[in-house]
Order: sequence, then C-alpha cells, then structure tokens
Amino acid sequence: MAETRQTRQQHKKKKSSNEDESSLLDATTDKKKKLKQLDDFIEGVLQEAGEEFLEEFKQVEGQ
Amino acid sequence: MSIPKVIGIEQEYALNIKGGDDLSAFHASCMLVNAYARKAGLREPGTSILWDYGHETPFRDIRGELFGRKSGRDITRKEDNLLINAILPNGARLYTDHTHPEYSTPECLSARQAAACDKAGELILGEALELAKEILPDLTINLFKNNIDHQGHSYGCHENYLMDAATHQDYFVHSPVKAQRTLIPFLVTRQIFAGSGKVGPSFQISQRADFMECLFGLDTMLKRPIINTRQEHHADSKRFRRLHLIVGDSNMCEFASILKLGTTQIVLQMMEDDFLTGDFSLRDPLRAIRQVSAKFDSDIELEDGRKTSAIDLQRRFLDFALQYSLKRDVAHVPEVEAILKDWSDVLDGLGNLKLSQDLDLEDDPSDLTRRLDWVLKLWLFNRYRRKKTLTWDHPQLKVLDLQYHNIDRDEGVFYSLQRRGLTESILRDAEIAAFVREPPSDTRAWFRGKCVQKFPGEVYLMNWEVVGFDHGDIHRMVPLLNPLKGTRDRFQQAFDQARNSRELLDIIGKLHS
Repeated sequence: MAETRQTRQQHKKKKSSNEDESSLLDATTDKKKKLKQLDDFIEGVLQEAGEEFLEEFKQVEGQ
Repeated sequence: MSIPKVIGIEQEYALNIKGGDDLSAFHASCMLVNAYARKAGLREPGTSILWDYGHETPFRDIRGELFGRKSGRDITRKEDNLLINAILPNGARLYTDHTHPEYSTPECLSARQAAACDKAGELILGEALELAKEILPDLTINLFKNNIDHQGHSYGCHENYLMDAATHQDYFVHSPVKAQRTLIPFLVTRQIFAGSGKVGPSFQISQRADFMECLFGLDTMLKRPIINTRQEHHADSKRFRRLHLIVGDSNMCEFASILKLGTTQIVLQMMEDDFLTGDFSLRDPLRAIRQVSAKFDSDIELEDGRKTSAIDLQRRFLDFALQYSLKRDVAHVPEVEAILKDWSDVLDGLGNLKLSQDLDLEDDPSDLTRRLDWVLKLWLFNRYRRKKTLTWDHPQLKVLDLQYHNIDRDEGVFYSLQRRGLTESILRDAEIAAFVREPPSDTRAWFRGKCVQKFPGEVYLMNWEVVGFDHGDIHRMVPLLNPLKGTRDRFQQAFDQARNSRELLDIIGKLHS
C-alpha cells in the first residue's frame, strides 16, 4: 500500500515538474514573441521618424 | 501642524506638427484646446467661461516684491481668453501656455489619484488630437509628455502641494536654511526613482536636472530654481500656501509617478509636524543634482564634508518616514503603508542595480525596469545600441527617447512597452477614464467641475479659487479658498436639487446659515 502511495506521489511530482517546465517554456516563448514584436515596432518608429523628426521637434522654451 | 497634502500637476506637452500649411505651434495648441472644449459643450452659444487671471501673480515673490515685478498678468480680451483656455467638467484646466498645450489636473488628495488624473489628461489630449484630425485631415499633430527637445529647450511637469501657511513661511521665507537641510536634499536625490531619463551626453537619469540653476527663485524659464518662490497660493493664504515645484520630470511609468508624489507628500507632512529633525544638507545641491543625474550611485558631498549617495540619503528620509508612520495623532497621507513599502523596495532595488562602465544593465534583481522610467529607457536604449552598434550620441537614440513620451496609444514607445506587459500597470483603465469626465470628489475640484457640468451657461469666469456666476443684473462670486472644501459629501444634494445656479447659491446660503 505504502509503495503504491509513494509511486503515486512520485508520479504526481514528475507530472507537476513537467507541467512547470512546460509553463516556463511557454512563458519564455511568449516573452520572446513580445520582444520580437517590440523590435518590429521600434524599427517602424525609427524608419518613420528619422533625423528630420529631430530637427522639426524644436520646442519653445516652457516653464 | 500638518494638513492634507492636496496635489495638482501641471504638464506642458511638446507639440510636433506635420502638414497644416505653416500652422504655428500656438494656433495648433489653441485648436486642440478648443476642439476638446467644443466636444465638452463649452463652446455652445451662451457658454463662455473665462479663466480669471486676476488671481495670477507670477511676478510676485513670497520673499517680497523686491525680487519681482509688481504687476500681475495682463488681462486678456475675452476672445483671446477663450482661444487659450478651457475649464473642464472634470475640474481641470486645459490651455495654451507659451505654445505648449498644458493640462493642469484638478486638486487631488492622494498620489494615486493625482497620477490617475495626470493620465486622464493624456486621454483628453488624445481625444483633442482625434478631433483636430477631423477638422484638418491633412494635419498630423503628435504630443509628447516630456521635458526636453534635445535642442537645449525644456518645459515642465510642475507639482503643486498644499502646505500649512506657517511652515511654508518658516521654511521658504524666514528660515530657508531649513529647506536646505531637508526638502532640497530630498528633491535633489528623489530623481533616482522619479527621473525619466534622457540620452546625452551618454545617458542621464533625469531630464530636468541640468536645467536647475538656483535653489530659490521666482523665474520658471530663465534661471530655474529647485524651490519656486512664486507668491500665488490660490487659497486663503493666511492658512494655506501652495508649494510649486518645477524640478521634477514627467513620468510615463505609473509606479514612478505615484512614488514621486507620495514620498513628497510624506516629507512635506513631516516638515509641518517638525518631525524631520535630521540635517541632510548638501555642500552644493546644484552640483549634486547633476552628479546624481549623470550617475545614479555617484558620491555626493554633504555640508559637513562627508560623502554619501542619493540612495543612502533617501534611506535616511525613509527611516524618518517609517518612524513618522507610527504616530497615531496624524492624518497620514492616503495609502501611506503602500508608499513606504514601495519606497523601501525601490531603494533596495537601486542598491542592487548594477550597470557596466558603458551603462549596460548588468543586474536588475528587483526588476526596476518595469517600474522606473529611467531604468526602462536604459534597458530599451541598450537593446538597440547593441543590436545596431550605436554610440550613445546616435540620433536614433534621441528619436527613441522622444518617442517614448509620445502619448498616442498606438504610436508611443512607452505604450508599446506597456501593451506587451514590459512595464507594471498600477492604475486601472476605468480609474483613469473616470477622471476624464468627473472631478475628484474630495476637494474643491468637485464643486468647480459640477458648476461646469451643470450650469455652463451661467458661469462667466472661473479659476482655482473662485467661481463667478452671471445672474444678469448681478455677478455672484463663490470663493473656493479652502482646497479641502467644496466636496461631493457636502454639496451633492445642493446640486441635485438646484435647477439653476441661483437656486444652487440659495440652497448653499441656507446650508451655511
């Protein structure tokens, strides 16, 4: 009986360890995806607003 | 004796125009103000709420007229007044200040509320931009909530705090050495969590530090002071004073904004209760503010010659604040426990933050990237520097620096980061949205906002401390000299019952008799 319980517990631990690894992998993949999206977005920003944008950005002195 | 630290933020926005056939920045700004005012019903026939400049005295110094000109601001023509100004149904003021669209939040009791109202200002200006696009489809205007244009110009994010008159007079007029011992060191070093960062010459943690030129002063454009001594209290000055600070950066990160405001509230309250008995004096505060901006963990010199760091100095303020929070006979700032915990966590995080010689983020165990604007920017700039092998003075980093502050939810870099969960959101969308239409319920902003909402055709002028009603044969002025009064609790019923402003004033008159 004890052996069966132990086996069940080991099986549960292994299963939850696999689940942890899997969700960690998902989170890492998700983050990579977001960073890739960010990189694409930033590339768009830099292409849209070049040095001309900097020159045009001149502001009047405020308070 | 300490009083509630009512807060108001004034944000000058940078404006970038494309198309528009040489439309000037001033007129573009006025167009935005009026587009929103029209949408809010403030430009209907018979509705023309003027901003009352009579109580503005930008040239009057709290230290006496010796330092400033005697005259107040010129009264503008009605048409010019309406071109420039709109007092909104949420109790805020939207106007054009030196070509910058400026949003002044309504008065708020808590740091969180003030941060939410500041964000609501972004949404309001966002709506104004969409309305402008409908009027002039070939025109593109972008607005930026920052403080520098990378061409030597600066504009402000001003903080206003309600103070007890006696303490204000003591610290900033009679004995300014007290401010030099306490508030000035706090403000010089606060940038380690409140700074919003900028490129140039390599990277600095603060946008405004370089522009501070004196400790106390009246001017806000030419010789900027850490403590502004403008005598313009917008309240009963026998009891209340307005501390006007122009040293701070504009924050996009909600965490940084709330922490900046909340810690300042606590320090001011400790000053009012004579609790801040330590001497934090710096040998040269103007040098120190630049040193810390250039390197967040640099050594700075105390008045007695010892060296310390901004982190350690802030820890000393925090130690006092933790002791102060145990006092039972004080009405502490709202959410004081949360502010103290965040202050402590951030200082620990900054203590463990490691940057390389070339300002790469080597270690950020507390994930400050998600909470502080300057750290988030540093992460972002380093990502692209490494990718594209850019030096710190590369124009593309300046573009990124500016676009970080673009308030457009689709185009702005900060909002792109926020959408991808790379920065911590503290405020709920609904919380911010509520302040677009409604004033805070627990300050005089509520009374002001409700007058605009309910009786816009009957109000002829307004400012922070007065509402003027036009009752045909007579003008009736309602003073709002106590920022803590005029609340929903006190006046909701009166507004519900009154069909017009005459009835409102009659009901209020009976309440007081």
